[in-house]
Amino acid sequence: MDAVGGKRINIRHIIFILMALAVALPLIFKLGLPLRVTDEVRDVYGFIDSLPENSTVLISFDHDTSTLPEMVPLAEAILRHCFRNNIKVIGLALLAEGAAVGDDNLRRIAGEYHKEYGRDYLFLGFRPQFTVAILSMGEDIAREFPRDYRGVDIHNYPIMNNIKNYKDISAVISIADGDMPLYWINYAQARYGVKVIPEVTAVMATTMYPFLQSGQLVGLVAGLKGAAEYEKLLGKPGLASKGMDAQSTAHILIVLLIIVGNVVYFINRRKMRI
Amino acid sequence: MDIGITIAAILTLAIYSFLYKDNPFYKTAEHILLGVSVGYFVVITITNTLIPKLFIPIFIEGKLIYIIPGVLGLMMFLRFHRRSAQFSRIPLSIIIGVGAGAAIPAYMQAQLLAQIKATMLPLTNLSNIIIIAAVLTVLVFFYFSREHKGVMGFGAKAGIYFLMLFFGSTFGYTVMARVSLLIGRMQFLLHNWLGLIN
Repeated sequence: MDAVGGKRINIRHIIFILMALAVALPLIFKLGLPLRVTDEVRDVYGFIDSLPENSTVLISFDHDTSTLPEMVPLAEAILRHCFRNNIKVIGLALLAEGAAVGDDNLRRIAGEYHKEYGRDYLFLGFRPQFTVAILSMGEDIAREFPRDYRGVDIHNYPIMNNIKNYKDISAVISIADGDMPLYWINYAQARYGVKVIPEVTAVMATTMYPFLQSGQLVGLVAGLKGAAEYEKLLGKPGLASKGMDAQSTAHILIVLLIIVGNVVYFINRRKMRI
Repeated sequence: MDIGITIAAILTLAIYSFLYKDNPFYKTAEHILLGVSVGYFVVITITNTLIPKLFIPIFIEGKLIYIIPGVLGLMMFLRFHRRSAQFSRIPLSIIIGVGAGAAIPAYMQAQLLAQIKATMLPLTNLSNIIIIAAVLTVLVFFYFSREHKGVMGFGAKAGIYFLMLFFGSTFGYTVMARVSLLIGRMQFLLHNWLGLIN
């Protein structure tokens, strides 16, 4: 029934082609659709903006490479904000693939702001058994990460001079494609009182909202849309902002397909009754 | 053109070729992904964990106490030896014991108590009323010791509607995330590979 032009092409394939066009065309021909900044993103931006210069934040790259299109814009936006405001950044990864990506993100964005490794930012690398790692850093970061990603003793870096544990950290920012921010809430926020900011994939947004409502999170930046909102607040459009037109047209196409699918379904049902 | 970008673009197209039908290009790209992922994980675990957390403390700093966790870790491999497999349960029991000990109070504090506290809201605005109504009716839906009839039935039905709203919003976010992934790949193909967009 759904065959079009022979056996090899069917409705499914046509939908794939339409989706590819709905995404590709707005990337080539800009539409400039409006974007509203939500309160939860504004809260994160406001919090980072309120931190005094030379504060230190811990950014954990808790994701795999399969979600890079969402994770990289999120990471770039928050790193740009931190470095622009002269906030020091200590990076780490609690998932293995996040280590290489986190290191690359830090170097790239730090380079834009001429920040120096070891003084303005540091990358500790990957640690398995994230529960133990989060708890251990609450006592002493150097005990959990005696050496950085490059294998150098972290006491050699000036950024670590006044940093021992979460007491010396203004916030933990978990850039995650899973529920890792919940572990930061369970073991770092509840036990040591450190502020937690989740930057998550859109899939994880609904998991985070109860913790936002309860006040256990500073704010929430979710998905490519969240990253685009953050870029708008920063006044520096990046990857996410450029993808928002495509996101909107793809959503419009999906809504249309749902409507068409239902109309066809009800027409067929009526025919069968007759 | 950067050879790395070309290889990545070809592999992306090979994966997307599955949308037409399963084929050898897709299979090859899939196997490369698996192989590279496992290889990367092994290397980073050795360089980022075993060397700084085990080998350097034992062999360079002379902290012999680290031999104990090292031996416990090696005992996990006894699972592959049928007659000695039972000894692999020792490190496993330590992991489970420590994990449960750390998790239970943390979950009680962060997930249970904090969430209950956050539900005790004054009925002064619509949002608070909806939150409390949703929590109560969903709890009624998951209460199975009494038949869902009368007030219980009404509550359970309302609970189902709240659950459906949650599933719908979650599915909406999931669709958004999947579209974002496609946008990311499309940006890579059109910008990094073909140079069609800025």
